Amino acid sequence: MLSFIIRRFGLMLVILLFVSIIVFSLIHITPGDPARMMLGQEATEEALQALRHQLGLDLPLYQQYFNWITGVVQGDLGNSLKDNSDVLQVILQKLPVTIQMTIFSFLIALMIAIPAGIISATRKGTLWDYGGTLFALSGVSIPPFWLGIMLIFFFSIQLGWLPPSGYVEPWVDLKKSLLLMLMPALSLGVRLSAEITRMLRSSLLEVLRSDFIRTAYSKGLLERGVVFGHAIKNALIPVVTVSGLQLATFLGGAVITETIFAVPGLGRLVVTSILTRDFPMVQGAVLFMAFMVVTVNFLVDILYSILDPRIKLEGGKK
Amino acid sequence: MNRKRFFWLWTALLVLMLAVTGCGGADQAGSTNTNGDGNQTETSSDSSSEPGKTELIVGMDDDPPQMDPHFSTAAVDRQTYQSLYDKLIDIDANLNLVPQLAEDWEISEDGKVYTFFLRQGVTFHDGTPFNAEAVKFNFERMMDPDAGSPRASELSPVQEVRVVDEYTVEVELDAPFSPFLAVLTDRAGMMVSPTAVQEKGKDFSNSPVGTGPFQFVERVVQDRIVLERYDDYWGELPKVTKITIIPYADENVRVTNLLSGDADIINRVPPKEIEKLKQSEGIELAETGTLGFQGLYLNHKGEPFNNAKLRKALDLVIDREAIKKVVMRDAVITAAGPIPPSSWAYDDSLEVVQRDVEKAKQLMAEAGYPDGFSFTLMINPKPVEQQMGEMIQSMAAEAGIDVKLEIVEFGTMLDKMDNHEFHASRLGWSGRTDPDGNVYPLLHSTGYINYGYSNPEVDGLLEQARQETAPDKRRALYTEATKIAQDEAAYIFLYHEIDYKAYKDNLKGFTPYPDTMMRFHHVYFE
Amino acid sequence: MAVDTVIKTDNPKKRMVKDMWGRFVQNKLAVVGGIFIFLLIFMAVFAPWIAPHDPTKQSYEKFLHAPDSENWFGTDELGRDIFSRVIYGSRVSLEAGLISVGIALLIGVPIGLLSGYYRGVLDEYIVMRFTDAMLSFPPLVLALSMAAVLGAGLENAMIAIGLVFTPNFIRLIRAEVLSQREREYVEAAKASGISDFRIIFFHLLPNCLPPILVQATLSIAAAIIAEASLSYLGLGTQPPTPSWGSMLSMGQGYLDTAPWIAIWPGVFIFITVLSFNLFGDGIRDALDPRMK
Repeated sequence: MLSFIIRRFGLMLVILLFVSIIVFSLIHITPGDPARMMLGQEATEEALQALRHQLGLDLPLYQQYFNWITGVVQGDLGNSLKDNSDVLQVILQKLPVTIQMTIFSFLIALMIAIPAGIISATRKGTLWDYGGTLFALSGVSIPPFWLGIMLIFFFSIQLGWLPPSGYVEPWVDLKKSLLLMLMPALSLGVRLSAEITRMLRSSLLEVLRSDFIRTAYSKGLLERGVVFGHAIKNALIPVVTVSGLQLATFLGGAVITETIFAVPGLGRLVVTSILTRDFPMVQGAVLFMAFMVVTVNFLVDILYSILDPRIKLEGGKK
Repeated sequence: MNRKRFFWLWTALLVLMLAVTGCGGADQAGSTNTNGDGNQTETSSDSSSEPGKTELIVGMDDDPPQMDPHFSTAAVDRQTYQSLYDKLIDIDANLNLVPQLAEDWEISEDGKVYTFFLRQGVTFHDGTPFNAEAVKFNFERMMDPDAGSPRASELSPVQEVRVVDEYTVEVELDAPFSPFLAVLTDRAGMMVSPTAVQEKGKDFSNSPVGTGPFQFVERVVQDRIVLERYDDYWGELPKVTKITIIPYADENVRVTNLLSGDADIINRVPPKEIEKLKQSEGIELAETGTLGFQGLYLNHKGEPFNNAKLRKALDLVIDREAIKKVVMRDAVITAAGPIPPSSWAYDDSLEVVQRDVEKAKQLMAEAGYPDGFSFTLMINPKPVEQQMGEMIQSMAAEAGIDVKLEIVEFGTMLDKMDNHEFHASRLGWSGRTDPDGNVYPLLHSTGYINYGYSNPEVDGLLEQARQETAPDKRRALYTEATKIAQDEAAYIFLYHEIDYKAYKDNLKGFTPYPDTMMRFHHVYFE
Repeated sequence: MAVDTVIKTDNPKKRMVKDMWGRFVQNKLAVVGGIFIFLLIFMAVFAPWIAPHDPTKQSYEKFLHAPDSENWFGTDELGRDIFSRVIYGSRVSLEAGLISVGIALLIGVPIGLLSGYYRGVLDEYIVMRFTDAMLSFPPLVLALSMAAVLGAGLENAMIAIGLVFTPNFIRLIRAEVLSQREREYVEAAKASGISDFRIIFFHLLPNCLPPILVQATLSIAAAIIAEASLSYLGLGTQPPTPSWGSMLSMGQGYLDTAPWIAIWPGVFIFITVLSFNLFGDGIRDALDPRMK
């Protein structure tokens, strides 16, 4: 076990090294001079030179990377070009908002997906199953931003039930915070619920075919009891762990959702920074997101190998 | 067992969701007048009635990049400054100069020495006394060539600042400069605390200190700026005790937040929402002509617009009335030159260019482009800008001119214009109190918002206007310069904006100013 | 769920294809998806004949107009006919879907083949870890950043989306090659002295095609959404070319007065993406009957 964790940890470090190289090169092939952007119109050539020197932009690329990564390891992600604020600090400020939205949409997703998946699997081949499959496929196919816009259209403009956009911290006004979170969480959660439904259906079908379920049958337990008692528990292990692996897709969806609903989270930070070409901020936020994904994947792998020892044999090189 | 637990968990979640949604529905239907102002209060007095409200929430159109007026380059910065800083001189709603930190001033016979008599008993938010030394410090900070302050060009005529006594300052210019006082009504006249600057250095921008009616509390980037009343303010104490400035870059979101009661007042109402807001109950609109001009910059230093005939052809292709109607919903005034109708120097005899596709084609033929030409127009990523861009694209296409639109952020746009790496750019000017601040920077060959136009005759006229003090003569000079610029299509003037602020009708005492800056010193809630 | 194809010898191949076709047409949803895809392609190709108006023609008299007999889907904020714009918009979406997946295939297939065939240090420590790293980024965020770095525009958006999708193909093909390379026919080919190049491209590649086909179809669906997302954020298709994503983003501002601007492009994105997903699922099920 321990050797597996150590090996998996080493792997994570290697992946992070590649992640950092990708992020670094992404920004450094960008045309445009950061020094000019920082100093604005009035800057003289001398001032630009001085700033480039100060920022280390006149060094060879590998040295720039080395300096940058040394800073990153120490938690220094640089400063925003726009207002000179500390990138890591801004990211940490926005993070709780995105986490809140993530938790909320996971709840919504599970609430939809678990019944839908169970119904699809237990009534395989019926109209229910077709409905579930169609729902799952629609959920994956619906453009998340359009779903968001349509939710605003129906619930805010037509019905006037929900505030269309914005954000309030839950500890300031809990009810309002939840109301505001509902539509963003729903538009993010639908896609996730679609994927979990598909996953749950197929893993449930597999479990239902397996031996121990047949044993339970032979013991004379009721069919529904079988399903709820044994099958779901076993089917949920891969579902929950795999939905953890959905984090990357999920964060991507948050980018759009937060933009539509004016939620001041990490996703919106990325979009505004990209649109204002605030590259240190983009670099920091993208790196941070990838870091989160790699870490979560690592934890999920470990968790999975504990929950389901069969996976250990090949887990490291999946 | 498992099944039961699962069922209950699921039901509980469902009920929670329904409860939350249900509350929302009931809330909207039941009480139409809830203002949701409880969300920002620290105390739990969420049911406190409106009259006690002293906290103002401002919906801004963008997150201000800078909190230091001496290094600011964006118009949105200036909104926050009105509360944080006082200026030596302010304007009133009719553009007259009125005393603020300078109680009075004198101008010498030759127009070169300005003497300011400062208000006494003024302190900065950090307790530093405001006096002549502070004024001198501020001027020198802006004029320091190593600091690179954008204010330096506005203050370029200043030769020396002298402390006469504790509350008297003399500013000597190297030549008469009639717009000088007007310059001091903007950022160049804003006084920052010398102590705070020396202590904080570059960090000053993140925790600014002025003498204004409100002082800085905190800032969360792209989320909010919080100001509170400065209790030792020299003038009448504001009735509002706290201002929260929230950037809503998306115009729809801005309007929505006003309507839902999450903002008390919003800046820059999008044209398409004006009619709707006028009809909305509980919402007031404040309307005022502005100081600036909007239009297209053309690059005079490269193909194709180094050719005056092609510039003019583009000028003639544009239907300003259509832009006014479709994109701006009649909330603008079509422009013939850089001086807006709100200015004393406005000359209504100048005619707005009328669309004439045939003449445009003829000019192109004369220039050797009978089949048209193509160019790239840079626009900012805002819906109105994009619509305008697409209209110009479509109008130009009728004359055979192929327009490519390039959506670029403000900073990138300026950068490209600086380096003359552009064809045309959709960019205007927020304008200055004195007409010189519109005409000279744009049309004089050394102007700081001039991107390549140069005509010695225009230069001469504008220099003459700076020395001239009689308003009639100055107006005549500006008109003459504008006519030349129009003939040569130095810049394509499209329109002057009309500024709309929208606010809840329980907010009283708000006066719109032509500089479009919101002043909250005297507002209160009813 | 790895797709395991059961291709053994050459003779039963025909029968198998027939079986697959049989299974595919039995899957009604997949057939519907296929028909829709055909209709969309037809619409894109013959857009100039189908669209009643010029999609870029503006009208300063009739803007933000509700649907009527002349403008079936209404007009937008500049008085353009939304129906015609939606028809033309299918060109951008299909083009974006096909070309970006094409780019991903062009880069991903050779790397996946070589990496899986030769294995070794390069495969283990560079290619695999690089794809791990690429897959750690939220795909949309990576595409957005790349598009921003490359500059806004449809071409760059397609390149960005293609690059973001590439690692998926590398991994899929590599895994497929790994399972195939130990098979008899490869061993036999090696023994008879056929060059590696021929083995890789003439023996391994054809056997990897079915899973590639499934992945490619599903990726087209994802690429269409990605392009629409980039256009929605202003980094994709540039005006005046009508694209569904940018129509939506402008329409969002008129939800209360002219909701038809935002509704129709969204409906078409949804139908298109759903069709490709149904179709892709159908192929997968047809290839792998055990999953049904």
